[in-house]
Amino acid sequence: MSDASLRHAEVAIIGAGPAGMAAASRLAEAGQRPVVFDLAPNPGGQIYRQLTVPQVGEEVMGRDYLRGRALLERFERARLDYRPGSRVWWAQREGQGTTLGVLAGGRSELWQAKRLIVASGAMERGWPFPGWQLPGVMQAGAGQILLKQGGLVPDAPPVLVGTGPLLYLLAWQYLRAGCPPRLILDAAPRSRYAALLRRPRATWHAGHYLLKGLGMLGALRRAGVTVKHGLEAIEAEGGERLEAVRYRLGGRWHRIGASLLLTHFGVVPEPQLGRGLGLAHDWHDGQQAFVPRRDAHSLAAEPGVWLAGDGAGIGGARNAEREGHLAALAILAAEGEAVAREAAPLDRARRRDRSARTLLEALFRVPEGWLAAQPETTLVCRCEAVSLGEINAAMAQGAAGPGQLKAFTRCGMGPCQGRLCGESVTRLLAGHLGTTPGAVGAYQVRPPLQSITLGELAAAAVPPEAERP
Amino acid sequence: MFKRLDEAAPAGEVTIWLEDAPRRVPATLSAAAAVLWLDGGAGYRDHAAGGRRAPLCMMGVCHECLITVDGEPNRQGCLVPVTEGMRLTRQRRRP
Repeated sequence: MSDASLRHAEVAIIGAGPAGMAAASRLAEAGQRPVVFDLAPNPGGQIYRQLTVPQVGEEVMGRDYLRGRALLERFERARLDYRPGSRVWWAQREGQGTTLGVLAGGRSELWQAKRLIVASGAMERGWPFPGWQLPGVMQAGAGQILLKQGGLVPDAPPVLVGTGPLLYLLAWQYLRAGCPPRLILDAAPRSRYAALLRRPRATWHAGHYLLKGLGMLGALRRAGVTVKHGLEAIEAEGGERLEAVRYRLGGRWHRIGASLLLTHFGVVPEPQLGRGLGLAHDWHDGQQAFVPRRDAHSLAAEPGVWLAGDGAGIGGARNAEREGHLAALAILAAEGEAVAREAAPLDRARRRDRSARTLLEALFRVPEGWLAAQPETTLVCRCEAVSLGEINAAMAQGAAGPGQLKAFTRCGMGPCQGRLCGESVTRLLAGHLGTTPGAVGAYQVRPPLQSITLGELAAAAVPPEAERP
Repeated sequence: MFKRLDEAAPAGEVTIWLEDAPRRVPATLSAAAAVLWLDGGAGYRDHAAGGRRAPLCMMGVCHECLITVDGEPNRQGCLVPVTEGMRLTRQRRRP
């Protein structure tokens, strides 16, 4: 690639959710002009999506959504270079900086960033069960995105299934919108809630979350929504689309007609950028996910690369905002500014939040043995339609790692590049080999980190001035 | 599969073309959201291995929302905002 097309940034930030917005705003207020690459058309990330022009108000969404307004306004006032609709499809550490390939508006640009903050956020965990590929089965986050983006709600009462705060938040928002779910199936056994009493300190720190959750659960029950705990198994049935949901509770199967099934089995860090940058990752047993390794205090993963927000481990929106702020302070500190007094209360709040988080992780743990217990026809890799049976067969033939499984079965070779099946493959191998997910590791991630067409790639190889005769 | 809340803020509408039919949709939607709203998602796209598929995540991860936008195939519909006159063509398996 020609140097003529190389652009420079003192600080580049990937992502404009709470972490990215907080980092960018603080740096801008210190007189820097960070470049912010955002996959979305508007700032806010997933949590504050569409808050720039809200389509649904507090009466449906609740107070926490509107809480993002202050941060959003601060970000919009800040003097920075915001680039919406940008896909970072290539990222490589070079010397003390990072080179980024960024695709926007059909063309790719090459950026050299002296300092990089990765704030690329989380995704919903891919969690296979029979029929999860049917139209009419969506992740709960998708339902909430449709609500935020255009006030879209289910036109018939949906079934909600899984575990985690988002499940109840979405159910409660649908209730307030006048379309409550028909049934909520919680994978967490009721007995797990008793654990709260054994951990009073963490319970105290988690009080804000727990009270919110209890309030939502109460409102749902008062409205007559059925909530069942201890879900053991689920199947989506239908021909061309979802027609019914089968579920097992206490060893017995039940069946309910439904046109929309919304699932939620927790959120995990989106892996592509951290893996693409070659950062070390560790399996986090509490989060049941791989998290990129970073310095707990400075948030630096490598010299010149900081990680902030849920992409570096799930901590929620408030924690992400604090981490973005801290990453900005770490950069200012590296330039000789005195920031210790500003950082101290943020650090304290992070520690308190971490204590609450361990409790939430224990409450909303996904069942470890789930995947191995699914029927062999269950699709593990949706993109390449690779079933559990095919993966079991490949493991029996000696595929000993995620890379080999990929070569044997094509799992993880489709357009999503293994984002949805990566964890499943790691878990299955760990079970088969009698080892830990951490020891198995994950798919190797290679560029492009985001989908890019050959035409866009070809355009990237030509410096801009050469395009026009 | 989805309906629009009456009280949703009117952000204006745009006209898009779904196959050969002009349709008015809220201007804040992504292409994938517009198709789900207009057509319930059952016919969103065909998978090469057979069977119908529809968006799962709506946030750029699952790639189940692939759709032809203004003649360009395999765009991630959930990441493309609708614009006036946009032409969406759902991707079908050749018989």
